[in-house]
Amino acid sequence: MTTSKSWLLALSVWGLAVLLVSCSAVQQATSILNTATKTAGEAKTVVQAGQMLRSTFADITEEEEYYIGRSVAALILSKYSAYQNDGLTQYINIVGNAVAIHSDRPEVYAGYHFLILDTEDVNALAAPGGMIFVTKGLLRRCKDEETLALVLAHEIGHVSAKHGLKAIKKSRLTDAFMFLGSQAVQRFGPQELVQLTSIFEGVLSDIVEQLVERGYDRKSEYDADGLAVKFGAGTGFDPSGILRFLKTMVGDKSAAAGKGWFRTHPTPEQRIDSLNKQIAGLAVVPKIDDVRTKRFQQYFRTLK
Amino acid sequence: MKKPRSTVFVFAVMTLTLVFAAADILVVKVQTTKLRNGPRYFAQAFLTLSAGAKLEKVSESEGWIQVKTASGVVGWIHSSAIEIPKFNLLAMNKDMKTQASANEVVLAGKGFNKQVEDSYRAKHGEANFTGVEAMLQIKVNLTQVEDFLRKGKLGEFRGVK
Repeated sequence: MTTSKSWLLALSVWGLAVLLVSCSAVQQATSILNTATKTAGEAKTVVQAGQMLRSTFADITEEEEYYIGRSVAALILSKYSAYQNDGLTQYINIVGNAVAIHSDRPEVYAGYHFLILDTEDVNALAAPGGMIFVTKGLLRRCKDEETLALVLAHEIGHVSAKHGLKAIKKSRLTDAFMFLGSQAVQRFGPQELVQLTSIFEGVLSDIVEQLVERGYDRKSEYDADGLAVKFGAGTGFDPSGILRFLKTMVGDKSAAAGKGWFRTHPTPEQRIDSLNKQIAGLAVVPKIDDVRTKRFQQYFRTLK
Repeated sequence: MKKPRSTVFVFAVMTLTLVFAAADILVVKVQTTKLRNGPRYFAQAFLTLSAGAKLEKVSESEGWIQVKTASGVVGWIHSSAIEIPKFNLLAMNKDMKTQASANEVVLAGKGFNKQVEDSYRAKHGEANFTGVEAMLQIKVNLTQVEDFLRKGKLGEFRGVK
């Protein structure tokens, strides 16, 4: 290779790199410039930038997820009261956080928080952003720490995989991103706030309907079961704890049947089959330990 | 032959440096997190970082990123706590603050935020935000989690007598 050819090659490589950076720089510069000006044409460019940047539920920021989750949690707490038992609540929060730090998503915007709902329905709900609810009815069916941990791991799985955010209708998300893209340059004025609040109400309605009324689709539930095994066993818990829980639901004729987890999830038998395969596929299956069962019983004696 | 090859090599290194250096600016995306002296939760935490803090990536290990803060402090942070800005290639030409502010404009802060929640709350008195605030006050610290794992022979304390 001659000297001139090698220089030509080198300059071409360099030029390509500069071009790549420049393209990105132009895109970002467009967005920055539009923040300083507010003509209609330029606002349109910001809309385009917003669309280009954000298109799916996965593009919702952590802070937005937190604010969505807070409102979802507020709606759940308008239907159910919190069960007042500080010691048990604290224990459940420690178990939940122990699992969370062994999950795929140990850190969420404001951390994981767990609350017991004062109802005999058998249910657990995970609001986006890490606010997780379990009912007294569900806790009564947990007989050891492994079972509790695996049920919480299932809910952490929903948060980790952002199943709540997936429930938002695509058209609503498109509207939201277009609107937010065009309004990202300033604090919302009264008119914008009315529009955005209306979109926000729609987002909450999509999530709450799925979470409370309809339940997640079968794939999301099986995914969450798979993540429960992964996170639970990853923490060191015997993953068959979740099987012990599901077996309490098989053939159940109690008042709780037909509500909550009974109504919104695949049948316990189907889930048990799927979970058995998951557990069989683990390289190491942790075993239950008396130390954990004893401390579980100490806290659960206070469940009235 | 030697000189041309070295010229190509120099330009190639410059190009790679340019691309990778530009991609290594990270932003904290959770409310607060800790900088630790090792890639694990129970390593010593020595600095609290808040949402929006800009960091430079140094290295990574199994879900943990070694980072350098704007003031030059080096430590480890979990990857779930940070965002890689989408328009990061501009970082090579601008200081970190300018680069991040573009992301703030387009992505953060002005989406579904406290202002929107306040507006929603004003319309929906039935939503129990007092209950949410009480729930968020339930705090568990990592020392409690570590003690729980140790006594329960869980996590990194499995198999420890």
